[in-house]
Amino acid sequence: MNSSLETLIQNGLLLDAFGVVGLGLIGLAAVRLARRNQSWGGTMMACGAIALLIARLYVILSPHFINDDVLHRIGPVGISVTYGLPPILLTLGLAGVVWGLWGHERWLKENR
Amino acid sequence: MSNGGFFLMGSIEAMRPVFLIVMGVFMLIFAWRLARNSDAWTSRLMMAGALMLAFGYALMLPLYEAGILERYAPGRMTYEGSAAAAMGWHAIKLVVMNAGWLVFGIGLAMHAKLLSPAPVANPRREARARNAHEFIA
Repeated sequence: MNSSLETLIQNGLLLDAFGVVGLGLIGLAAVRLARRNQSWGGTMMACGAIALLIARLYVILSPHFINDDVLHRIGPVGISVTYGLPPILLTLGLAGVVWGLWGHERWLKENR
Repeated sequence: MSNGGFFLMGSIEAMRPVFLIVMGVFMLIFAWRLARNSDAWTSRLMMAGALMLAFGYALMLPLYEAGILERYAPGRMTYEGSAAAAMGWHAIKLVVMNAGWLVFGIGLAMHAKLLSPAPVANPRREARARNAHEFIA
C-alpha cells in the first residue's frame, strides 16, 4: 500500500486534528449564537460540543499516557470511569449538538 | 415480540445504534432547514458536513456495532473478512467523521458570523444620532 496513506491512517494526526478543530469551531459558533441571539439552542449546542471535545481529546490522547502504572494508581473506580465516561460524553455531546441545532432552528423560525 | 426481546431492545447496547441513526438523520434535517435560509457557501459547507456526519453516524457506526464492518486495529493480523476491506472502511470512517465535523463546524461558524467582526454599535455615532434627534425635537 501507499506509505503516505498508511501513515495518514495509522497515525491519524491530521484527521484527528481536523475533527478537533471542527468541534472547537462548532463550540465557538454556538457560543456566538447564544450570545448574539440569546437562543437556548446555542447554549445547548455549546455544551454538546464541549462534551464531544472532551471525550474526543481523551480518546485521542489516552493511548499515550494510560498504562498499567496509571491504571493501578487510579484504582477500580477510576478504571471504570475511564471505560464508562467517554461513551457517555460522546452520546450526550451528540445529543446536545443535535438538540441545540433543533432549538436554534426553531428559535430562528419563531423570530423571523 | 417476546418479553426478552423487548428488554434486549431497551438495554443500552441495543439502543445505541438506534440512537445514532436517529441523531444522524435529525442532524441532516436540521442542517438542511438551517441551510435553506443561508448564503450559498454557508449552506453548501453545512450541508456537506452534515451529509458526511449523517453517513458516518447513521450508516457506518451502526454497521460497525452490528459487526457487519470489521473493526480495524493497527496491530491486528487476522480478520474474518479481508484485511484490506477493514482498513478501507476504517479510512473512510476517519475521513468522514473528522472532515465532517470540520466542514460542518466551518459552515456553522459562517452561519454564526464567527469569522466576521462583531456588530458592535458605534457609541459615538449613536450619541450623535441621539443629539440630532433632541435638537430636532
